[in-house]
Formats: sequence, structure tokens, C-alpha cells
Amino acid sequence: MNLLQSFKMAWRSIKGKRGRSVLTVLSIFIGIAAVMTIVSVMEGMQEYTRQQYAAMGSNKIDVSVYSWTYDEDGNNISKDYFPILEEYCKSLGDMVVGVTPNSRANGTVVYGTVNSANIEYKYDEETWELLQAPPQMYYASPQYSLVNEYEITRGRDLTYLDVEKYNQVCVLGSMAVKTFFGNVDPLGRELQINGNKFQVIGIYKQKATASSQGYQANQMDNVIILPYSARRLLGGSVDNQFQIKVSKSEYIKDVISRVGPYMRNFIPENAGSVDAYSQSTWQEYETEQLSMIGLVLGGIAAISLIVGGIGIMNIMLVSVTERTKEIGIRRAIGARRSSIVSQFLIEAGMLCGMGGIVGIIVGTIGSLVLGKLMYKIVIWPSPIVTLGTFAFSVALGLLFGSYPASKASKLQPVEALRAE
Amino acid sequence: MLIETKDIYKIYDEGKESEVRALNGVSLNIDKGEFVAIIGQSGSGKSTLMNMLGCLDVPTRGTYLLRGTDVKKLSDNELSKIRNKEIGFIFQQYNLIQSLTVQENVELPLIYQGVDASKRAEMARQALEKMGILDKAASRPTQLSGGQQQRVAIARAIATRPEIIMADEPTGALDSRTGADILGFLRQFNDDGTTVILITHDNSIAASADRRVRISDGLITEDTGTVGPVSYSGEDDAGSMRKPASAAHAPAPETLAAAPQTAEPTIPASNDKEVSEG
Repeated sequence: MNLLQSFKMAWRSIKGKRGRSVLTVLSIFIGIAAVMTIVSVMEGMQEYTRQQYAAMGSNKIDVSVYSWTYDEDGNNISKDYFPILEEYCKSLGDMVVGVTPNSRANGTVVYGTVNSANIEYKYDEETWELLQAPPQMYYASPQYSLVNEYEITRGRDLTYLDVEKYNQVCVLGSMAVKTFFGNVDPLGRELQINGNKFQVIGIYKQKATASSQGYQANQMDNVIILPYSARRLLGGSVDNQFQIKVSKSEYIKDVISRVGPYMRNFIPENAGSVDAYSQSTWQEYETEQLSMIGLVLGGIAAISLIVGGIGIMNIMLVSVTERTKEIGIRRAIGARRSSIVSQFLIEAGMLCGMGGIVGIIVGTIGSLVLGKLMYKIVIWPSPIVTLGTFAFSVALGLLFGSYPASKASKLQPVEALRAE
Repeated sequence: MLIETKDIYKIYDEGKESEVRALNGVSLNIDKGEFVAIIGQSGSGKSTLMNMLGCLDVPTRGTYLLRGTDVKKLSDNELSKIRNKEIGFIFQQYNLIQSLTVQENVELPLIYQGVDASKRAEMARQALEKMGILDKAASRPTQLSGGQQQRVAIARAIATRPEIIMADEPTGALDSRTGADILGFLRQFNDDGTTVILITHDNSIAASADRRVRISDGLITEDTGTVGPVSYSGEDDAGSMRKPASAAHAPAPETLAAAPQTAEPTIPASNDKEVSEG
């Protein structure tokens, strides 16, 4: 008997017991949908994390250099480490794309009636999009935009001259432009930072995209970038947070292992610390954590699949008992044991496959809804996950159908015929 | 010799208190082209004998040679093949699969033979036409009368053009006229060269066969050999033949007392359920 015939017969008997078949499919689809949802949400989350890190700029190394050296009055007199680091990075040649301080500058920013001290945080409740927030000011080298992957859309970027000459200039992120200037052209206008006038010389292109919308991405557009020499005017201790961008991800570890020890030479022993690490380390860590969570949740969902599978086995056993007479008839007119086995196996496989399809549909809806509700992102299950889920559910049917099928095939024709 | 049994026994629960000897040493030879009736009371072992001859069951002891081949030595698959190709079964309760249409029921043995779809459909149609029931091909068995269902069952049995037809009380659930039709078909198949083995408890039905083998308590008590149909006097058999279907399983008529009958029932009806319960 060929396979197509077996499929037709299995379909016939599934249709013949419609109510029970629906219940069987129900018992399996919940587990399938749960596994599917979990797997694809986890995948989506990893992708989301990846995008978030990508928006922050890849191949970046954070360096922090602290020293605790004070004069008699208790003032921190530690050195300015940036020139040392900058010089060293130059010596690394092509490996390093750029280096910049990455220290926050504190101060109130005023333009006309807008005062940063009075700006409140506002979110879009639907999308978590940051609508309004006080801007973040950074002291930066002219390589800041290189390191952080900003692009000038209008005006010009910071230059070494701006740093050297202590120019009171700044470059704004797109959101900061909106906050202070609305629809007014900001170029050439002056912001008051702690009472000092800073001229807007350039605007960065918006970094947040539809897919990376969210707090972190929005914050990156809500920036005011100042030459690091503005520190003299605005006050605060020396720069001790720096960022280095390397040209290839393979260089990350190498540069970290060189920069750390090198900078350690310039801080007093027992009174300082140097730390160099990469965002990608965090990304790896976070991805790993997500996989772990996914594994645990997937395991729990898998238990529901086993329960569903036992349900399938139970129903198939009942079906074998009910159809003992039919099996007897089939055997009497020449069905081999293998024909009976394949009949029941295919039936179980088809039932579970149908459960799988329903599960995939529900799981897809589930991951779309969950992605939207929890993370404000659109998560479409990947084709691999979808196909894998289907294959898995059919395999489940074959696994749990094999016992009832073998039981059916072992019935003696004479005894089976006697059944009512 | 087509069928040759030597001293076959079928013993259930041998050696236990509940031991039942359904066949107690039966030796029977049937030649190709014979029309044999195996007659016996409920529990006599006639159905067990048919199951043996039809390769549905294997004897506990003794040998059964089908066309010279010892059935005991055949694998399950080989037995399936014999049932599929060489034997057509007709049962009292028709044994059609309710979830399949008439056409599909008739095609079923051909499906197991691996005959391709178009040829299969044609063969099934021919068999149904022969049985005069082609117009019901698309119906479900439940939509048909008993006589029609039995015709479908016979169509299924002959669709594979088997060499042997085994009919176990084929008229048992039918009224006398329909029953006579069925017996007519069996006669026709035999005339066409098919070996027919008819199992019945009813002498008058057995009379349509050329040879009658009486079985009682698992033993053959009488074998007429092939002598041609015998006509029983009308009064004796009328009782059983004219019974409506529902009453067909009543105990055998008094008139059968003439047949050798030991203190019944010494053998539980377990091997003959379809007769005793119907």
C-alpha cells in the first residue's frame, strides 16, 4: 500500500471523528504555540538587543581612568589623561578609528524661554518613544562623531581648532534641536550654558530608527556635544571616561589588553584604577542571559508538549480499541502489520501536524502581541523556527503514536474480527 | 490438492482447567473447484476450522498444507498476502468498514495489493456490477439493507479474483429470499471455477453445496464427498430459511436433531461468537 493511500485513509478517519480530532488538536497546539512564542520572542529580544547596541555604535571600547590624588585643601589634582590616551591611540595606527572623552557635562541650558532645568520626561505610552527629556551634554573630542557614529546633516562638526582655541561652540542631536528650537533654524544661534554663550555650529542626523525606537536610541539624539576644552569654562573634574572605536571587532580584545596596562602606568599605585571594557562584552553577556531565560521557559513549555503527547497517545489507544473490528477486517482482507502501523502512525502524525499548524498560527500571533506589549517591537517568527516547530509537532505525533500503532498491529486477526 | 489438513487441533488454554478444544484432530482435503459446506452447531468448531483454512489463525497442532505449502512455516506477511490474493472472505455480519464508501470498501483489498488507482477503481466497479449493486458505489454501508451490504461484501471478496471463497454463515442475517440470492452467487462463482467453502449451521443451506462436511465437538462426523446438491424435503428446512433476519440466530431448528449431536454445549461459544451473539 502506498503512502498517498495511507494519508487518504488517515485523513478519512480523522474527519470521521471530527469532534475528537478537534480536541486532540487542541491538546497539542497549546504547547506548540507556547514553545513557538517563547522561542521567537527570545529571538526577537536578541535581535532587539543587537540593534540597540548597534545604534550605540559597535566596536567600541570604554575606558575609565580614575586616580585619587588630592592637594592639601582636598582638591582632586589628578592629571588630564585624555592627551595621553589620544597620543597612545595614534600609535596604534589603523586599529583605532577614533578616541574621545565620554564625560557628562553638567549645567543648565537656556534658549529663550526654554530652560533645561524645567524640562520634564515625557514618553509616548504606546511605543515608549521618548518625546521630551532634558538634554545630555558631553565633553567630546573632534572624533566624537566617528566613535559614536553620528553624522552631520547641517553645519559642521567639532574640529581640533575648536578644542585648541576654547571655542564656545556646540553640535546638537536632532531631539535637542527640537526641544530648544522647535521649527527655528538653530545654526548660528546661541545657547546659554551656565550663563555662557555657546554657538550651535552643527546638527547630527537622527539616530533612532523605526526599529530601534526606544529610550536608549532616543537619548542618543537628545545630546549637546561640547569641545572637551569647554570644561575649563564649565568646571568639573578632569575627564575620566573615554571611548575608543576600533576599526574591526577582532581588534577589541587586543586594544583592551594594550590600553589598560598602558594607562595604568600613569596613575598612582593604590590610589587609582583603570578599566577598559567593550560594549560587545555586555552584549554577549546579555544575549547569553536571554538564551538562558529562553531555555528555561522553553523547557517549561516542553512539559506541556509532553502532556499533550500523552494525550495523543491516550486518544490513539482509545481509537485502536474502538477500531479493533476494523483492524480485524483489514487484516482479514490482507493488510500487513506494517500497513496497520503506518495507518495509525500517519494518523497520529497528521493530528499533531494539524496541532502544529494551529500552534504556529497562534504562536505567531502570540509573539507579535507579546513583542508589542512587552518590548514595543514587531517579532515575526523566523522561517527556521516555524518549520522547526512544524517538524517537531509531527515528530511528537510519531513518537507518541508509535505505541498505539504497534499495539494495533499486534492484534490477532481472528480475535480482532470478533470484537464488536 | 488445494487444501490439505492433517490432524489439526486448536486448543485454547491447553493444560489449564479452562482448556477448550475447538478442533480436536481434523483431517480434511478439499480439491480445487469444489463447493464444500461445513455444517455444525454453534460451538462445534466450524468457524475455528474456517479461520484455520482462511489463514486467519494457526493450528495448535497438526499441519495445514495450502497448495502443498505448510502454513505454519509462513510469516505474518506471507499469510497476509495469501488472505489478500488467494482467499475472499464473506462474513455473516458483512464486516464492511463503516467510514468508507461502498466503492472504497471493495477497493480495500486491491489497495493492499498495491494496484494503482484507476485499475483498482475499474476492478471494484466490475465486482460491484457483477453483484448488481454498482448504483450504490458512492453510498455508505449504513445506508444499505442487509442484503445489499452482503452483496458489497461479496463484491469485496471477489474483486481480487481469489481462488478460494470462504463464506461464514453468509445468509445468517438475511431473509430467505435474499439468502437464496447469495447462495446463487456462490454457486455461480463455483461454476466459474472458484473453490467455495460455505460454513453454516443450516442443513438446508448446506444442501446447495456439492459436498457436505459435518463437524461436531471439533471432529468431522460426516463427509459426503462431492455428490452434487441434495434437495432436502421442503418441510424440514422451511423453518430456518423463512426466518426474518432478526430471528436468524435462534437455536437450530428441531429438525436438525437428526444430525449427530452430543450433549451441547460442551464447548463454550467463545470461538463462535458471531453466531451465538450475532
